[in-house]
Amino acid sequence: MINVLYLDDEAHNLTAFRAAFRRDFQVHVTTEPTDAVRILREHPIEVIISDQKMPKLSGVEFFELIAPDYPDPVRMLLTGHADIDAVIDAINKGQIYKYISKPWNESELRDLVNEASHLYHERQAIVLRGEDLQERMSKAEREAVKIQSLTSGKGALTADETARIFDLANTIQLLLQA
Amino acid sequence: MTIATGARQLRAWCALVFMAAASACAAQSLIGKRLEILQDSITAELMGLSEVVQRDAWTPSEEMVPSLGLSDDISWVRLKLDSRGENGLLIEIQNAGIDELTGYMMCDGKVVATYNRGVLQDGSHDGAFGAYPTFPIPLVECEELHAVFRLKSSKPLLLPMRIAGPREVLNDAHKRDILFAAYFGVILVMLLYNLFLFFSVGDRSYLEYSLFIFMIGGTQLVLNGYAPYFNVESWPWLNERITHVFGVFSGLTTIVFAQNFLRMSRYVPWLHKLLNGYFVIYLLALVLTILGQLIWAYNVINFCAAAIFFFIPGAIITMRKGYSPAKYFLLAFSIFIVAVVVFVMKDAGVIPYNAWTFFALPLGSAIEMVLLSLALASRINQLKKESAHAREEQLRISQINERMVREQNTKLEERVRDRTADLEEVNANMRTTLEELQSAQQQLVQSEKLASIGQLTAGIAHELNNPINFVSSSAQSLRRDFEDLNAIIDLIKAIDPSAINLNEQVSSVKDKLSQLDIEFTQKEIEELLNGIEDGTVRTSEIVKGLRIFSRMDGDNFIQAQLNELIESTLIVLRSNFKDAAVLQLNLGEEMPPVMCQPGRLNQVFMNIIINAIQAMDELGRDVEENILSIETERIDSDGEAWAQVRIKDVGPGMSEAVKSQIFDPFFTTKPVGEGTGLGLSIVMGILRDHNAEVEVESEEGLGTEFIIRFPL
Repeated sequence: MINVLYLDDEAHNLTAFRAAFRRDFQVHVTTEPTDAVRILREHPIEVIISDQKMPKLSGVEFFELIAPDYPDPVRMLLTGHADIDAVIDAINKGQIYKYISKPWNESELRDLVNEASHLYHERQAIVLRGEDLQERMSKAEREAVKIQSLTSGKGALTADETARIFDLANTIQLLLQA
Repeated sequence: MTIATGARQLRAWCALVFMAAASACAAQSLIGKRLEILQDSITAELMGLSEVVQRDAWTPSEEMVPSLGLSDDISWVRLKLDSRGENGLLIEIQNAGIDELTGYMMCDGKVVATYNRGVLQDGSHDGAFGAYPTFPIPLVECEELHAVFRLKSSKPLLLPMRIAGPREVLNDAHKRDILFAAYFGVILVMLLYNLFLFFSVGDRSYLEYSLFIFMIGGTQLVLNGYAPYFNVESWPWLNERITHVFGVFSGLTTIVFAQNFLRMSRYVPWLHKLLNGYFVIYLLALVLTILGQLIWAYNVINFCAAAIFFFIPGAIITMRKGYSPAKYFLLAFSIFIVAVVVFVMKDAGVIPYNAWTFFALPLGSAIEMVLLSLALASRINQLKKESAHAREEQLRISQINERMVREQNTKLEERVRDRTADLEEVNANMRTTLEELQSAQQQLVQSEKLASIGQLTAGIAHELNNPINFVSSSAQSLRRDFEDLNAIIDLIKAIDPSAINLNEQVSSVKDKLSQLDIEFTQKEIEELLNGIEDGTVRTSEIVKGLRIFSRMDGDNFIQAQLNELIESTLIVLRSNFKDAAVLQLNLGEEMPPVMCQPGRLNQVFMNIIINAIQAMDELGRDVEENILSIETERIDSDGEAWAQVRIKDVGPGMSEAVKSQIFDPFFTTKPVGEGTGLGLSIVMGILRDHNAEVEVESEEGLGTEFIIRFPL
């Protein structure tokens, strides 16, 4: 189940959100930003939804605050106030994926969370593939080093050696193509 | 009696005086050159008669009328008589003003007769031949017959002396008496006549003239030895000073008369002032007289007498300025001055001492009186003429004026018509301009209203969004929760107690219950219902607040609760201050309702509160530090009741310069494009319509407080 964190100073909104989405997602809700940070630490949160207008700090400010430590979760800003400045801030500073206005439409919101989760996982996959590639690149480099040590100081290659070199070249080509 | 007939009678009197004077005009033989004089201030005072006679300091007189001067000292005069030819005759001294005068008749060095003839001496008038002192030459046979006189006086000692038979002396005295009687008659008639005129006409100058001639006449009376006829000796104090007193008062009255007659204050102001100076000097003479310093007093009076010489240039200047009565005045005083000069020159021996010269002074004075009387008549005529002329002139001027006014009126009417047309045009233009201005102003006020409505709707939309959000969301969730519950109820309904597999059925229900986590669902339903309830309460509160806030009867004055208005304003503004400031609300209990336009008052409160919040928000502090305090309270002072609202922030405050302008239209501290600068000006307008008092207290760095008082 997708792990969703929802931050809002209005407790009734939290109740309504959990009631709406607890069957679909793993829902975490809180009114306190500090509590939100604790949840981020303890749970693998994929999607964060925050209200913009809160007394202690705004939604954008919250996103800015957690950006260094938790860059991966996808952020969505929720507000009832059609404040163009908040939207601009949200996009420029808060690396925000979507902007949602209150009152929310439940099915739209559900779709958005799913999309966000999907995006999260795609990003994760890219990251994993990147790591994999990195590993295979270093492996290829190691092989290349070995070939170099084999070829240096020798007049000619054996047939077996030549076959292995081709084999390696193919492997590298394949790797690079991927 | 008219003035003209009075003048004619006076002229007749004058003729009589002239004839009398002419008949008295026999040449007299004065014996001044036969006299010997002893004036030794130290010795003469102390010596007796016998010692005096034996001294050899006697000096012969060289003048026809010896003048012994003005001094306190005793003087002696000796006359050698012809012991054969002059016995039985009289020695006459024609000076009636000598204070102490003792005559000793000495026959061969022995005193045979003594006569006291000084005005201050008792019995001086016994056996007198007329007003002048006389001394009979005794009928004795002697080798040498002398008359020795001891003299002392506070007036100048002039000694016109003669020796004549008693009949001649008496005759001359009679003639003199007649002449003086005529003179005094003239004076008396003039006095009474002018007094009469004063009482009938009321012109003050007649009274002044009367006083003037009374004093002049009195002076002549005294100088010529007629004071004893009025029994002045009975008052020795006055008797000693009478010449001086009359001298002072005749001087004063002469000056007063001359000043007013010549209208000096108008025609010759400098002379008027100068003569006022003489007043002071005369008063000094009077004081000296009262103190008994008679020699000094006489000197001062003599000095002052010169004042009349100023009358001549004064009269000439006045005459030149077209005041014709000055002619008579000039003539009168010229004659008088000539008479005075003649009198003085006679005494100095320059011209002969005869009846004419002797009478020069009273004669001149009489002519002066008469002429002045004529002058006075002329003056009255002149004044009458002047006032008649002035009336005629006024009439003429008023006629001219009337004609001019008529002509002017016609012209004016035309011009007024033209001007009216112009003005109407200008007026029409101004009305158009005014209408344009009014519509511009209305547009501005409208745009300010729209701006605040925009601000409001944004805030309210947000306020409403939250409850609507969770109420609608909760409703959907509730539906799903009820579907879960329904599923279980369906299971329970399907239970057949008579079936054998009852236990199985029950356990399947239990399975379902745990599968659906029904306890959690129950708790959730509770919470969702709470949320829905709370949401509906909040939305209805907002709607109610909005309704109160934007009452459509806003322009009617009704009784409304200030507290209610403020609360409704706060509801619609909640989103503005919720995240920006902490509210300290202290609404007074038992606030009486205020007659007001609630809609417009809400605009007032909203404006001030929004300003306060924005001011504090700009400082960028923590929300807890931004305290907005609102208080209402009933105030009773000086028998007047007020409902007071205080709205206070802890924002940056204002400088005096800003504070003085905040209610000015278009004044704003916000950047160009933000705010119309009309908010507080509209607030002021609304509060003025409510007769409210507004006080603004602000200090830079501390905050601002608006104190508004509504009359109850």
